[in-house]
Amino acid sequence: MKTEIRDQRSEIRSSGSDEFEETLRLIARLSAPEGIEERVQAGLRAASRTNLGRGKILQWPVALRLDNAWMRSSLARAAAAAVIVAVVVGGGWGIISRVQPAQPARAIATPPRVSSQGGFSSAGAMRTPQTLNGPVVAQPAVAAPQTPVRRGKSAAAHKSIAQPAALPAK
Amino acid sequence: MSAGQAVFSGWMEIADKAEYDEARKLAEEQALAGLVSQYVGTLYRVAYSVLRNSADAEDAVQEAFVRVLRHRETLAEVRDQRVWLIRIVWNVVLDRKRRMKTRPETDDVAELARVLPAGGLTAEERAAAAQHHARVLACVEQLPAKERQVLMLSAFEELSSVEIASVLGITESSVRSRLFRARNLMAGLLDHTRSLR
Repeated sequence: MKTEIRDQRSEIRSSGSDEFEETLRLIARLSAPEGIEERVQAGLRAASRTNLGRGKILQWPVALRLDNAWMRSSLARAAAAAVIVAVVVGGGWGIISRVQPAQPARAIATPPRVSSQGGFSSAGAMRTPQTLNGPVVAQPAVAAPQTPVRRGKSAAAHKSIAQPAALPAK
Repeated sequence: MSAGQAVFSGWMEIADKAEYDEARKLAEEQALAGLVSQYVGTLYRVAYSVLRNSADAEDAVQEAFVRVLRHRETLAEVRDQRVWLIRIVWNVVLDRKRRMKTRPETDDVAELARVLPAGGLTAEERAAAAQHHARVLACVEQLPAKERQVLMLSAFEELSSVEIASVLGITESSVRSRLFRARNLMAGLLDHTRSLR
């Protein structure tokens, strides 16, 4: 039985395989188009240049390069080192001298106490006791001061206002 | 070596390293150029078998070599460069194929008529052959992805089953079983299309 199935399968394969495998082989044997190699090489060169542009290396200025003559003198190198040390120390001292240490707080602020039973807080309001009203001293009645009688017109007018005019004798 | 140079011997190593890097870069570029001239044709055919468009296939080859350029430091560690390159281009074309719309059969007919060798055929015979090949390729497209991939790579005479397994990242026995299934399925599909005509 198994051999029959195998034979059937091999028949199927032989009947169709030539047909489609020929097509696939034709494609697999196609020659590459003209100039593809040059185009790919050119593309790679362009890609390589782009990569170099992206990862640019920082370089020292010409005056500071190792092959420069003045850098070979030990005196110049010592001076450069001294300058670097001075800058670093000076910068550090400048920071330290400006920054003041934090002062400890003189008064301790305590939060308002909240009663353990809950409820509203006093919001920090302070109770002041009511003061008693002190004794009030009564002012003695003072008599109206005697004003001197003025003479003349104005005095008469004053009189007419202050006192009713005396009735004429009949 | 002068006294100044002796003092700077530690620093001068930087310059030596830069020269060494430059030389290494040059060697890598030459190696890459050698790979391009040696395998560009194979990679193009592999790419064309999947994409079935010469411009797309060329782009895929270009992209594959750019990927190689990015990882050129590992080039010396690669054992089989041919299989490694085919694997790269295979991944590139599968990515592209996934992103592309399905090609209509008429496009395939026109493209195949253009690229396949005429071999002394008349214009009519050539058109008929192109149509036949397009039909076969349409059947290949209907296969499950795993079987289709093995079948396509098996058409390349330069690839053994071990190398196909290496390209696809599967075992050799899997290649054989998938190839067997693919051939049976293809025979069935071709019979079906023939009965419809």
